[in-house]
Amino acid sequence: MKFLLNTGRTIKQGSYVERKNSTAYRQEATSLHMHPVDMMDLEIEEESHVRVESDYGVVVMKVYPALWISQGEVFVCLGPYANHLVSPETHCTGMPDFKGMIVQITPTTEPLVTVAALMEQCGGIQYED
Amino acid sequence: MKIEDVVCPFCGCLCDDLVVEVEGTRVVSVENGCTLASEKFMGDHRLKSPIRRAGKRWEETSYNEAIRETAEILCDADRPLLYGWSGTHGEAQSIGIHLAELLGALVDNTSTVCHGPSIMAIQEVGHPGCTLGQVKNRADVIVYWGTNPIDAHPRHMSRYTTFADGFFLKEAFRDRKVIVVDVRKTESANIADEFVKIQPGGDYAVLSALRAIVMGKRGIIPLSVSGVSREQLFRVAALLLSAKFGAIFFGLGLTMSPGKYKNIRNAIELTEELNRHTKYTISPMRGHWNVYGSNEVFTWISGYPYAVDFARGIAFYNPGETTSVDVLRRKECDACLVVASDPGAHFPKACAEHLAQIPTIQIDPHTNATTHLSRIQIPVAVTGIDAEGTAYRMDGVPIRTRMLFKGNYPSDTEILERLYALVKEAKGL
Repeated sequence: MKFLLNTGRTIKQGSYVERKNSTAYRQEATSLHMHPVDMMDLEIEEESHVRVESDYGVVVMKVYPALWISQGEVFVCLGPYANHLVSPETHCTGMPDFKGMIVQITPTTEPLVTVAALMEQCGGIQYED
Repeated sequence: MKIEDVVCPFCGCLCDDLVVEVEGTRVVSVENGCTLASEKFMGDHRLKSPIRRAGKRWEETSYNEAIRETAEILCDADRPLLYGWSGTHGEAQSIGIHLAELLGALVDNTSTVCHGPSIMAIQEVGHPGCTLGQVKNRADVIVYWGTNPIDAHPRHMSRYTTFADGFFLKEAFRDRKVIVVDVRKTESANIADEFVKIQPGGDYAVLSALRAIVMGKRGIIPLSVSGVSREQLFRVAALLLSAKFGAIFFGLGLTMSPGKYKNIRNAIELTEELNRHTKYTISPMRGHWNVYGSNEVFTWISGYPYAVDFARGIAFYNPGETTSVDVLRRKECDACLVVASDPGAHFPKACAEHLAQIPTIQIDPHTNATTHLSRIQIPVAVTGIDAEGTAYRMDGVPIRTRMLFKGNYPSDTEILERLYALVKEAKGL
């Protein structure tokens, strides 16, 4: 199913922002909030893994029901996972479309990846402290 | 030891009433702070020493060696990018601009992916703003548009708006009316007197509708504008006009959504229209604690607030061309120095991929997403904890942050001064 992806700050994301390689940060930054009716249509339950795909990238996330979001829209806190899906086009403003990307969401059994592994997919080398 | 009146170096509120208890080189308790402040002060996840990549593995290195290698990389580059700056103090930012001029580099701060569009709009139509003290003491109508202060600026409401009693508002919670406009029902929307839920991308149209109503052209408003009913638009306009002093705060819901800087321009022009009837101000909710400072420092030295290109030997600014995301997207820069920010986490994937391809050096106290993309990382002291310096609050008020204890890390200023000296020597200047 296609959804409109919205991103933004959450207090948990802000709390863990200086621990980006922690499990707590990964947990928050991969949490995808979706209307329960959409979850029913996708035949998925809370904490199911989903494959989120845009024209610019693919990432695995975990679904949580949210009544504060409209059907057809999903919310993920800002961070490397959401930005894996964002177009670098800025329409001559310097600002990419961080809010309002169209994404395709399908259920999956694939695992979540760490921030380090995500950056390795971008060509980096994982640092473990 | 308890230290009073400590300034919080997390968000643009720069709350200056914290009480912090220090034992040796650790903060052990924080009073008055929000969750974000507590995590910032109590966090103990610093990178221990400089690190560098050796092939496909990482190794520790010395400060001298890391700074020397960084200077060599920057001097060898044809199109270096110096990015970040919002998480450090003004004195370090100042050295950064001078370093960019010396290198003929492109220097940009995190406004580029937060309130850069707000600055573009302000350059077009001006900024009718005020300090947060004015808002606290006078504002009887508050608008939060595309911003969720409860999550992003947790004490904004208790220090300056909804819950803060002021000189002319003795019972703020009853006396102030709060309007929240957003595409989703946030925690902030839950405590609003009026929540306006608009369809994604509908901000420009709703702002235009409100401008029309305030101008007295109610007859042209359709039954619904971007999901907002005409009745609610009339009600909101009446509430806006009922203010003796109104304050509009806007966030990334406007700057990142379709329309970008044109949304902000429309919001400023609504403010202008409201000022024909009563008194109104409008201000961006700045995110990083010293992002406003980076705009100030960049401007007083180069003339431009962000995205400044010194490649021509003079300062050149053109958002969309000299902005970091565009430069990285075009794979134009061939080296990058990241100071006090994390583009690996906060830029689109294509930009992270280019950062991994070129020699990227990071100066930051913590490991983050950019660490994995870098060749070198140099850990530094955290300003406001074990380093001091000047920062600007979101309303443009400069505040001196304090050093709570003398730690083992050098400050950003010390590292950048040494880097500047090496580059200057290499250039024969």
